[in-house]
Amino acid sequence: MAIEIISLITSFVLMLIGLYGLLSDKNIIKIIVGFSLFDTGTHILIVTIGYLKGKTAPILDNAVGLTDVSQKIVDPIPQALVLTAIVIGLAVTALMLAYALKMYQAKKSLNIGDYKTLKW
Amino acid sequence: MDLISPIYIIAVSLGTGFFMGMPGKNLQRISFYLLMAVLLFNTAVSLQWLYALANQLTGPMQVFTAGFQPPFSINLLMGLNEAVITSMVNIAGLLGAVYMYSVLKKIGTGGQVVYLILLISLNVIVLSRDIFNIFVFLEVGSIATAGLIIFQKGIKAVSAGFKYMLASGVIAGLLLIGIIFIYRFTGSLNIDTIIQENPVFKQGALISVFLILISVILELKPFPANGWALDVYQASHPGFSAILSSVIGTANLYVLYKFSGLASETLFYYLSLIGLVTFVGSNLLGMNQDNARRLLGYSSVGQIGLLVAVLGLIPQANSNFKIIFFGLLISHYFAKAGLFWISGIVKKSGLKSWSALRKKPVLLFLFISFILALTGFPPFPSFFGKWQLVLELSAQGNIAAIIAILVGSFFEVVYLLRWAGYAIKLEPVSTLKIKWVKLIPVLLFGVGLYGAGYFVSQAIPYGNTINFIPLAIVAVLLLLDFLPAYIKNIISISATAWFAYLLFPDAGTLKIIFIVIFLVGGILTLIPGFYMKGKREGFYPSAMLMFGGLAQLIEAENLLQFFFAWEIMTIGSYFLIIRGKKSMIHAFSYMLFSVGGAYLILLAFGLVSMGNTGIGLELLSQIKYYPGIAMALLAVGFMTKTASLGLHIWLPGAHGEAESDVSPMVSAILLKAGVFGLILIMLAAGGEQNNYQWLFYTLGWIGALTALVGNLGAIFQEDAKRLLAYSSIGQLGYILFAFSMMSHMGWLTGFTYTINHFMFKAILFLAIGAIVLKLKTHNMYEMGGLIKKMPFSFIAVLIGIITLAGIPPLSGFGGKWLFYNAVILKGWYFQGAIVFFAGTIAFLYCFKLIYSIFLGQLKDNHRNVTEVSFWFLLPQYILIIGVMVFSARPDIILKPLGATLSNIFPAEQLTWNGTTALSKLGYWDATTIFMVIGIMFVILFGWLWFMSRKAQPVKQFNMVYSAERPERPELTHLSHNIYAGYNKALGFLVAPGITAFWSYATNFFESAGNFIRRIYSGNGQSYAIHVVIYTVVVFIIYLSTI
Amino acid sequence: MEFTVSKILWTLLGLFIVLNWGLIMSGIMRKIVARVGKRYGIPLYQPYIDLIKNYAIRSQITHGVMFYLGPVFRLSGGVGIFLFLPLIFGSEHWSNFSFSGDLVLILYFQFFGMLGMALGAGEGGHPNSAIGISRGLSQFTTIEVPMTLAVISLAIQYNTLSIAEIVAAQQGGIANWTMLTNPFATAAAMLSLLGAFGHSPFNLVKAPNEIPIGPPTEYHATFLGVLRTNAAILHVVEAALFMNLFFGGATNWFELILKTFLIYFWSVFVGVVFPRFRIEQSVRWFLKIPLALGIIAIIVMI
Repeated sequence: MAIEIISLITSFVLMLIGLYGLLSDKNIIKIIVGFSLFDTGTHILIVTIGYLKGKTAPILDNAVGLTDVSQKIVDPIPQALVLTAIVIGLAVTALMLAYALKMYQAKKSLNIGDYKTLKW
Repeated sequence: MDLISPIYIIAVSLGTGFFMGMPGKNLQRISFYLLMAVLLFNTAVSLQWLYALANQLTGPMQVFTAGFQPPFSINLLMGLNEAVITSMVNIAGLLGAVYMYSVLKKIGTGGQVVYLILLISLNVIVLSRDIFNIFVFLEVGSIATAGLIIFQKGIKAVSAGFKYMLASGVIAGLLLIGIIFIYRFTGSLNIDTIIQENPVFKQGALISVFLILISVILELKPFPANGWALDVYQASHPGFSAILSSVIGTANLYVLYKFSGLASETLFYYLSLIGLVTFVGSNLLGMNQDNARRLLGYSSVGQIGLLVAVLGLIPQANSNFKIIFFGLLISHYFAKAGLFWISGIVKKSGLKSWSALRKKPVLLFLFISFILALTGFPPFPSFFGKWQLVLELSAQGNIAAIIAILVGSFFEVVYLLRWAGYAIKLEPVSTLKIKWVKLIPVLLFGVGLYGAGYFVSQAIPYGNTINFIPLAIVAVLLLLDFLPAYIKNIISISATAWFAYLLFPDAGTLKIIFIVIFLVGGILTLIPGFYMKGKREGFYPSAMLMFGGLAQLIEAENLLQFFFAWEIMTIGSYFLIIRGKKSMIHAFSYMLFSVGGAYLILLAFGLVSMGNTGIGLELLSQIKYYPGIAMALLAVGFMTKTASLGLHIWLPGAHGEAESDVSPMVSAILLKAGVFGLILIMLAAGGEQNNYQWLFYTLGWIGALTALVGNLGAIFQEDAKRLLAYSSIGQLGYILFAFSMMSHMGWLTGFTYTINHFMFKAILFLAIGAIVLKLKTHNMYEMGGLIKKMPFSFIAVLIGIITLAGIPPLSGFGGKWLFYNAVILKGWYFQGAIVFFAGTIAFLYCFKLIYSIFLGQLKDNHRNVTEVSFWFLLPQYILIIGVMVFSARPDIILKPLGATLSNIFPAEQLTWNGTTALSKLGYWDATTIFMVIGIMFVILFGWLWFMSRKAQPVKQFNMVYSAERPERPELTHLSHNIYAGYNKALGFLVAPGITAFWSYATNFFESAGNFIRRIYSGNGQSYAIHVVIYTVVVFIIYLSTI
Repeated sequence: MEFTVSKILWTLLGLFIVLNWGLIMSGIMRKIVARVGKRYGIPLYQPYIDLIKNYAIRSQITHGVMFYLGPVFRLSGGVGIFLFLPLIFGSEHWSNFSFSGDLVLILYFQFFGMLGMALGAGEGGHPNSAIGISRGLSQFTTIEVPMTLAVISLAIQYNTLSIAEIVAAQQGGIANWTMLTNPFATAAAMLSLLGAFGHSPFNLVKAPNEIPIGPPTEYHATFLGVLRTNAAILHVVEAALFMNLFFGGATNWFELILKTFLIYFWSVFVGVVFPRFRIEQSVRWFLKIPLALGIIAIIVMI
């Protein structure tokens, strides 16, 4: 199987697993893990979209040379995008964990069902 | 012109943010001021762009970062729209920081930087044309938001923040997938390039467009996938909630606006559907809220939903798109920020605790202004926005959307005005300490709101025809509110007289009648105000708002002027009515019926404008589409004001509990506004041979039944003012009936009744109001025997009831005589008979009124009361002169009136032979009757006087009482439940069936709302599931249609 | 028309005749009622004696201005109806001031006296007065319903509201009387008349078996005299109104006396046969058969 197909499938599987965890697990930490997986899935998807068969990384060094660059490298933009997306995902995950900590400190519980004071 | 490039907003902010983050104690001390300086700078930059672009001193500017063209660089665009939005963002950001001064100070540099980052991200998502860049800064914004939520201490804020992060995480994932696929299909990240590629029509790219749009929509919190947002509104610091609602919402909405170029027609359709569902749904649920901030959250969500709907409904190419969109947006922006800020000043969250505002008139005024702006009353921008929206939708023929918008607006009115009522009326339980830093932003936003209102009014078509002078007078009175009442009264009376003077010269006979009723009546009912002590805060602005509205109603020449005047009058009367001690609930129900009626009128005006050019009032006679429905809607709308059967339940409370000099205003004068409206549509319908026979036939029946039920209701009242209020319902029923006949005699009858009701109801309400003021009770059975204490009031009431009952020789009989002729000529025998029956029932309450109060036994605690104030008697006696003149010489008015009416109704006219009126059936010589009865009465009186000249006056208890004397006056003063027998026989006719119907309807919506809002279970995970399900469901529905 | 001296004198003469006939007629009726009840009854001139006695009483009390004005209103009501009603068909002298208003004026002028009486009695302060008034007014509302329908029916039939024209249309024999040309309206109106004249079963208002009696409870002496005067006039003119509307009017005084007697007798006749209604019963009663008759009267005429 071609690598882009594999990575495409991987990315979707990861997203679905992540989403499933995020939506079904009651434990806040596990929810965050689910989110992380979902995020990672999207990152793989971005890279996959930019992948062109048989081409190299979009780094202009001696191996690539400066001629015919566009013929030799994969699309650089998704690669740039994924870097940003990873950073953002990291920040979000970190903040979520910070929240989880605060919540645990307040109620000594990691069950998301225990935080329903605001409703309706 | 050299302008600072918008890129500096970002650059300077980022630089300062990093600088602030550096360690150092000195830096921490000044960091807040640094923040303020940056925010000020940002504001200045966007404002200068706004100024330059609005005045066309420069064109839009594109900024390309790093010197590349897209897609290889990120580019920013500063056009007029962006200038407006970034100005909004930055101004609110700046004032928000001022408002949160103490919090930002306390939380330190870190928090300040987060706040700054949030504002940068908002600026960027507005300016950027790069889709991925927007994604990044949406995420930055989310993270900053999550950081700011925990400014507020406590687990509520923390859990709300976590719910927010969960949901926004999922949304961000969807957006990211959408972006990467759109890049895959179009090879670009630049919005303009992408739009040129038209990805909607590319195989497979459709889903990416869908994902992008749906995730931006999800950011805008569509109902019902918005539980996470509501918690944030409720739990965050109010300063931040204000930013969240007015600024973040605005910026995100603008993102949707930019992306909407991607959408196809079907997608626009779904956009509008999503928006409308959100608007209606979240306002329905808002009705069940008792926490102020959560309620504001629901309202916020609803307003954004409306704006989303506007995006979907009105093509951006439409020349009025911007004024509608920005008109609604800017109202939301000012009002929501203002309200959240006030919520931080009030601190307590329960709606009822907002009564604390009562002691702070400035704040209360601002609060009410914001509420009215949200509910779309003039002169706020949302009024004009909604008006134009309705017209555009009508032009499209999209009636369903108008109905949805009006229904949603109505729900919103319900909870917002209930809240306003609490603030105005409830006893304050706590006092407020207001810091000036918190007050300034609110004050500035209030000013901005009014300014924006004027600006928008001038921008919409025909908006410049609106006369703002009455509002200016109201503003002057508001500013002078610290003066004693009598000075303000003099100003008000002079202003009313001046209106009348201006209107009088070029008015026809029909209009002159209403000028007299509205404005001369206004002056007469203002006179008792001289009796009132103190300042009467808020009374005169409200009264002038009402009279100004009434005056403008007369001079209105187009639909917009008319509707504007109608709404102005409604607000003014609401504030007048709610002044009564127990009026909160009654004013509220008055307002609900009025607003409901106004919306029907608006819908009808929409129908009227369909297929026509212009909005002149003459269009009413040339309705092209659904003329019957439009007319019926207008009629029902006006009948909410005339309190016709089914729509009358607000009246007894509203009129009965109002202040003593307000009751005559609203009863004798205000009700005639509905009559004016009805006359307007009847004139437009054409003469006798009109196309709406079925409508007027129905109205006739409604009028007859209203007369019956109103009068029957009146006889069972124990409260004098409520008795008069029910009587008004009945009298207005006669008037509706008379005009509905659509004949010469019918209209003469209608006008005679209108004039008579104006005079006698003003006399009666002034007299009774003054007595109620004096005795401090409304209950008639607690009065009695006052004839000896208040002879002048007695005479006034006697003349009032003789006129009311239609007994010759006073002018009421003229109405009855015309009525008989009109009914028989028209052939409405059975309806007519019902009205006559109602007329005889009127005797019962007339007797009860005058007997229970003035006759019978004087009560011990009233032995020392004296005649009522001169200021109440003066207008009564002026009106009595009017009654006498109209009784003796009705031809003075009826002759010219008949001449005018003969143009409309040429058939079966009333002819005059001297003072004798001749109809096809009979004759009536009012002058002779007046003389004959007068002479006869004087002779007989003289005779009895001669015969009984030696009669001894006796004391109160000296009567035929089995040789005993009653112990207490109460024992022999028969008043309570005096018509018990009648109640036994016919009381079933006034069983409160209609009240029951309306409470059933209210309960239905409340419990529906209560049921639906249970989906907001409080579980953050459920909210994330909602987001996913929402996406899937919308997608499936969407797929099924392409 | 002008207010000439001779016009006024003719009118006063008519009033005098009507008053006397009213007094005699009430004497006759009381006699009849007594005989039906197996009593001997009063002498026919008893009403005169009562009247003279009442006017002659010297000790009088008053409860206030409105108390004073009540009888004035009441008598104005009676005299007013007399003034506005054409009595003898074709006679200019006996048509009084009927040129100033039509049938509607008469219908509404009835209220003038009622209202004044109610207020005057109200100031008397006696609870029985108020009870009587509340009952009277209650009953009156539904009495008027069949009457109104009958009047509308007449207006449709004759296409006029002028009493003189209605009478004119009935001339030329009994076959032209409304009684025969419009029997349903006549029936409805005659049932309504039972209530208007206030004999049993509709006499709970004055409830003559109880003492003191209804609205006039506190009235005595000249006040009562005025009220009695009014009653005498009112009985004749009201009967004359029905006569004009339904029974062909009168072309001379004899005809008027005969017809008014019979019309008045109708209510007395019913009164001696039927027992008294409670107020809620009488209120409802007029909304049953009389109402139905009134509706039929209109439907027939449309």
